[in-house]
Amino acid sequence: MKILIIAMYHPELVRGGSQQVAHELFQGLKDVPGVESVLLCSADHNSPAMFKSGARITGFDQRENEYLFLSHDYDYVWQKLPLPLQAQAFAEFLKRINPDVVHFHHFMTYGIDYLTLTRSILPKVRIVFTAHEFLTICAAEGHMVRKTDGALCEQASQVRCHQCLPHRSPEEFFLREQWMKAHLQAVDIFTVPSRFMVEFYARWGLDAEKFLHVPNGLQMPPLPAQAARPARRNRFGFFGQMVDVKGLHVLLEAVNLLRAEGFEDFAVEINGENIHFASPERRREVEAFLAEEAQRPLAERRVSFNGGYHHGQLAARMARVDWVLVPSTWWEIFCLVISEAWHFGRPVIASNQGGPAERITDGKDGLLFELGDARALAEAMRRAATEAGLWETLAGGITPPTSREAMVQGYLAAYEAARRKQKLAAE
Amino acid sequence: MNDGTTGKAGETPPPLVTLPEFDEESYLRLNPDVLVAVAVGKFRSGREHYEHYGRVEGRLAVAPRDLPRDKIIITARPGCAEEAPPVPAGAVDTIKLSSAGGLFVAGWANDSLDRLDTVELYVAGWSIAFSASGLARVRRPDAEQAAGLNIPYALGFWGFIYAGRRLPAGTCNVVMRLKSGAELSLIVNIEPLDDLELRGTVLNHLATAQYTGPAYFNAVSSIGRAIGTQLVDFSQMLTRKAVSAPYIERFHQSGRTPKASVIVCLYGKPDYLALQQALFSQQAEAQDYEFIYVCNSQALAEVLLRDAAIAQLAYGLDITLILLGANAGFAAANNLGAVHARANRLIFMNPDVFPKGAEFARRHLAQIEELPASRTDIFGAALYYDDGSLMHAGMYFEADTIPGFTLGQKEDVTILRVEHYGKGAPPQDATLLRPRPVPAVTGAFMSMNRAWFEALEGFSQDYIFGHYEDADLCLRSLEAGRPAWLADLRLYHLEGKGSARQPVHEGASAVNRWLFTQSWMEPLRETLLGPAPTNAALAEAKR
Repeated sequence: MKILIIAMYHPELVRGGSQQVAHELFQGLKDVPGVESVLLCSADHNSPAMFKSGARITGFDQRENEYLFLSHDYDYVWQKLPLPLQAQAFAEFLKRINPDVVHFHHFMTYGIDYLTLTRSILPKVRIVFTAHEFLTICAAEGHMVRKTDGALCEQASQVRCHQCLPHRSPEEFFLREQWMKAHLQAVDIFTVPSRFMVEFYARWGLDAEKFLHVPNGLQMPPLPAQAARPARRNRFGFFGQMVDVKGLHVLLEAVNLLRAEGFEDFAVEINGENIHFASPERRREVEAFLAEEAQRPLAERRVSFNGGYHHGQLAARMARVDWVLVPSTWWEIFCLVISEAWHFGRPVIASNQGGPAERITDGKDGLLFELGDARALAEAMRRAATEAGLWETLAGGITPPTSREAMVQGYLAAYEAARRKQKLAAE
Repeated sequence: MNDGTTGKAGETPPPLVTLPEFDEESYLRLNPDVLVAVAVGKFRSGREHYEHYGRVEGRLAVAPRDLPRDKIIITARPGCAEEAPPVPAGAVDTIKLSSAGGLFVAGWANDSLDRLDTVELYVAGWSIAFSASGLARVRRPDAEQAAGLNIPYALGFWGFIYAGRRLPAGTCNVVMRLKSGAELSLIVNIEPLDDLELRGTVLNHLATAQYTGPAYFNAVSSIGRAIGTQLVDFSQMLTRKAVSAPYIERFHQSGRTPKASVIVCLYGKPDYLALQQALFSQQAEAQDYEFIYVCNSQALAEVLLRDAAIAQLAYGLDITLILLGANAGFAAANNLGAVHARANRLIFMNPDVFPKGAEFARRHLAQIEELPASRTDIFGAALYYDDGSLMHAGMYFEADTIPGFTLGQKEDVTILRVEHYGKGAPPQDATLLRPRPVPAVTGAFMSMNRAWFEALEGFSQDYIFGHYEDADLCLRSLEAGRPAWLADLRLYHLEGKGSARQPVHEGASAVNRWLFTQSWMEPLRETLLGPAPTNAALAEAKR
């Protein structure tokens, strides 16, 4: 069986969850007998050095079966690439690779119409689509968070979407839905990393029967040697992108509240980057906080900023904290950070919606607090830092996160489901 | 020029003779201008004025005894004097001349008391006199202020004429002549302009002008006396030019014979080709249709060529792309599309029209096979809004009349309006959706037997850009005995979202409404107005 995996960006060029998972899958499939996998990742203006004159698809860094799709002039409104030569190159690539399965982990930088194009070029191929967010449903970055008031959105409609993006008419959103659904018809099986997503897609009109739940699995770094047990469990860590929906502002507000209450027996470490993708207001807010914090005498500092980190630094960064905080203000589809925290035996304190709410059982393997509520987070942090035995209880409740091998098996099951589905349809 | 009061007195006045009919005190009382002239020393006495000017002017020199009470009496015979009336206040804002001989003039004249008669243009080699009755009159608040008028008055004017030949531009002597004979003479440089640009300028002017009364009626009626005909002629010439050298590229798979040709006129927005192809290709039997996109926007050429190539690869329907170098308008673009269609069934469809349900394409073809020709030679479908409600199910006509005084004219003005059955109605209203003959169907979706379309000579290219040519075609079909039908078919129409609309289109719409009224008022008046017309051909078709 030959599997072509399609990802937005190569994770070594641009970091991000969906490309990381796609790459993990590609690596994992190498260990499966009888399976050949090919990885096609896009590169765009973020990686100008990857472009070669006249080339539309190239190899990548002398890696076997890894290719780059050189995308430019992408139309983010309709999610399509207005370049016929690029479409032809993709069509040729499909014919040349001639896979049994084309597994899309994203469509951005290619175009949602590449699903239909794939079906058109390879009518019998099994098409599997993994939704890592809600981009087909939601034009506001696929977050399903209302731009009007920051509330979580459970139902897209042409009027509601227009309210979020007023420069686009309701008619345009009506058409967007038709356009997206027309192309999603080419898909045999959808997979989602969290179960709650199925309900969203079904509510939107897709057939829930076509969905499978395949949690993301990562190849984790080896665990460090057992460190001495700290006397206190009052160190909190934030890991991730410093964009608005990750809720860093909620955490900083919680720190302010704890200080105001006179509780200062804690430390917060922020590990993250890409603050330039945050909104200007949030960026100002976060940067002002960190600057003020840096001015405090060392003994009064509660928050320290460590910057970004690479995979190899994860163990060291995790070793510095007891708890991992996930204060996201969106649905937080899966949250690889939870997997990472669990791998290192760190209980997670997270917002009580979406992926975290599905994965964490409050009081068993972590704590959940009301999404967006800084006071609720402050209370959870205070309890975590002060309640004797809590850390040990929750850390003991942690189940190991899904492994890469388990994820690979999940996707192989999806490919098999797609085969059965096609067979049924043919009969 | 000498008005008597401004004339200088002679050095040696003639000897004064006592005239029995002359009374100095009465003369000065009756002629206050003379009183002033004497006071400032222009004349030594009223009598001197009388001798030199007053007598000839017929001025009264003696107060009539027993002056009638409460009644105006005339103390001079107007018109007897050879005096020239005062120069009117006014200005010419612009004179634009296009290469094919379209001539546009705009300005203002204070003719609130003495009406404008002609605006004459004298240029080396040619001249023209615009009759004021053929000029459009518009408000010019700046001129009203300059003229000290306290009530709104249409001091502005503009005119357009199509000479149909190249004329030299250059310096122009403009004479604005009022009814009294007063005239204002000005020297203005004529601005040479591209033909298309001039059409845009004129239509824009029409759409954005200010009026003293209801704006739309004023706009429509202001062009009725002369400008409308000239604009239609001028635009026809531009249309012929635009369609004379199209660029055509075919994205076809060999060996296909389409059963229906869908002709789509594009303007301003390129997005809809890809969207329409993606959605239509999902239809059962979509492969029996070919699409002919005729693009009226030069700037979209590159994008459309790309999108058509991708669409052919991804969706596989046959596409013919016809690119025009200028906006030929809806009618000419569709007529041109029809020429390049391969099927005997023509569908005229807007880019923002999409099938409602997956069976539209199949059902459309089935209806043509199953129903009698009288029902399928020309038919439309029920169109829906994106919000789920009915947009309309067929069209009919209404006439709107407005009193002439609101437009500052004697005659009342009536203009025709195209109205729609079931605008915004619940989606499943059986009365609205039942198949039936209707006065007209919209060009947003119109299915026609090709032979019948050709017999009717297609859409009338008299209409500028778009609007009313669909109703015009349906009415010509009805006149020829075949009313349009509303078929049991449903589509979405995201009205107005498929093209970019600007003030020039509003201007064109006003011209078209005038033209449509001009062409169809009489035939419609008796039996075809209102939602339930009594027209015999419609009644016959219903039977």
